[in-house]
Amino acid sequence: MSKALQIALGIITSIGGFLEIGSVVTAAQAGAAFGYQLLWAILLGVLCLIFLVEMSGRLAAVSKHTIVDAMRERFGFPFFSIVLLVMVLVAFLVLVAELGGIGLSLQILTGIGFPWWAIPVSFIVWALMWRGTFSLIENGASLLGLFTISFAVAAVKLHPDWGSTAHGLLPTFPGDQKAKYGFIAVSILGASISPYLMYFYSSGAIEDEWDESYIPINRVIASFGMSFGGFLSMAVLVAAALALRPKGIDVDKYEQAALLMTTALPRWGFYLFGVAMLFACLGAALEISLAIAYFFAQGLGWNWSENLTPSRDARFSLVYTIIIFLAAIPLVLGVDPIKVTLMGMALTAATLPLAIVPFLFLMNDPIYLGEHRNGWISNSVVTIVILISFVLAVISIPLQIMGS
Amino acid sequence: MKLVRDVLDKQLIDREECEMGRVSGLIMHVGEKSQPRITYIVIGGETLWMRIHPSLASFAKRLARTWGPKRDGPVRIPWSRVETVGRDIKLDVRGRETGALDWEIWIARHIIEHIPGGGEKGEEEE
Amino acid sequence: MVGDAWLRHTTPDKYTRQTLELSHDTLLQIADDLLKSPPSGIDTASLDSVLTRSRDRVAQMARLVEAKDAPSFSSQLDSLRADEKIVKQFSDSIESRQ
Repeated sequence: MSKALQIALGIITSIGGFLEIGSVVTAAQAGAAFGYQLLWAILLGVLCLIFLVEMSGRLAAVSKHTIVDAMRERFGFPFFSIVLLVMVLVAFLVLVAELGGIGLSLQILTGIGFPWWAIPVSFIVWALMWRGTFSLIENGASLLGLFTISFAVAAVKLHPDWGSTAHGLLPTFPGDQKAKYGFIAVSILGASISPYLMYFYSSGAIEDEWDESYIPINRVIASFGMSFGGFLSMAVLVAAALALRPKGIDVDKYEQAALLMTTALPRWGFYLFGVAMLFACLGAALEISLAIAYFFAQGLGWNWSENLTPSRDARFSLVYTIIIFLAAIPLVLGVDPIKVTLMGMALTAATLPLAIVPFLFLMNDPIYLGEHRNGWISNSVVTIVILISFVLAVISIPLQIMGS
Repeated sequence: MKLVRDVLDKQLIDREECEMGRVSGLIMHVGEKSQPRITYIVIGGETLWMRIHPSLASFAKRLARTWGPKRDGPVRIPWSRVETVGRDIKLDVRGRETGALDWEIWIARHIIEHIPGGGEKGEEEE
Repeated sequence: MVGDAWLRHTTPDKYTRQTLELSHDTLLQIADDLLKSPPSGIDTASLDSVLTRSRDRVAQMARLVEAKDAPSFSSQLDSLRADEKIVKQFSDSIESRQ
């Protein structure tokens, strides 16, 4: 495949794979409750993510190590086991949320409650992992995720005031509901800066056999792909601000989020929302399942590749099989996926320091990166991310209690 | 060579380019009049868990005796079988003959191959 | 909002009915919470009466969706909007006291 085509595909899959239940629900809540005021949180989250994703790809291309590989080697098993435990637990929560997102999308489209969809949905996710290749999962699911572009169409059709929108890109403090504002900001950052995305991206770079010649491609894909994906998140917020806020709708139920498309796109909006969310959450569920399995396999030195038949990487295949079906259990029991989503996003934000501090060490280690170590800009951005995430870690849990 | 940096926790690859696990520990011979030297690489359960806490190592040992491919102790590879130490550690052994892939083979045979699409019997040995 | 959406034929019947039923359950929960710890200085009986009336209207609207009776649905929706204004007055009153 030519490099230009690879770039195009990489950007398209980044856009299509960007939105998932966390980013949509948090952006919709932000727009419905505070208008454009929280656009800065999405901007900051996406900016951080661009740097982190670029670093993930660079580490893989230069060192031929995934992040997990390098973390185990560099920091040893005792520290690695703590990171493994925490990251897998949080990722598992997010997986429950994504499977729930697929179930909720099917619920609003068919009228059949999401608990009934839990097992069939888990089975389909598992079957795609079992029979599919990395390319099918990464590209196929993400291409289907391009339905989420309909959010951008809806936002534009609602004729936003671009001046006020631009103003929302600068942080402001709310007049009232400070706890709720803070909590939603935390959740948006947690939804944007997802460690599982970094682990998946670096594993994908190894699966696709990247080398140093891919560094420029990686930079382009990370910048443009994540930027365009971030625009989609902002589009959800803008659409919610224009469609839901004037009606006083607070998005604490998934059903309410569906209405953000019906004003702008009367004929197809409702169905586009359902289908877009279905594919977006499906893509995310596949990515997270793979990320969790990669974490175990790479960290413990097992055979791993989505391109092998399951019996050739038996332990890797067993891990994602167990994880996917375990994740169905809370949904079968009727646990609200939206509540799980919000908890998952806040916990992601709270545990970011554990994921990013070791990563920062790796990105400055000449053994792994040689002359391609981080420059001062990358280090500064990551350090700021660590500081913000530390502050978020301290305030997010009480905000979770107050805000919800 | 710095043992912790260059050897411990490194990925092990056999002569068929198969991932065999990671270095969990090292056994060294300390002679009275000679320099300490590495004699074995250790892969596997108890040694790994011992690095966190001895109780976890005991648990791993009990688990290994009751379920899966019953092993007596972790896998030991003679240091003489190490070919190169670089990004990974390449060994001049066949992974499945060392016992390092016992769990992989056991899970493939007893679980994965029984699920449709899991792969053909014996494929995990190719 | 889902009422307006249904009248404009932008949402399917099943989804509309289920969302209305969900709203009914939410209103019930809100009324229970208010009764347990009523805000001070508010005529709780009147507020409870409005919430009960709203809840009944929402339940009726769900049944009208099932019967595809748009005119009666529209009439109930107008009444619900009037109830909404009353609840908003209570809400503003509570906020101004805090």
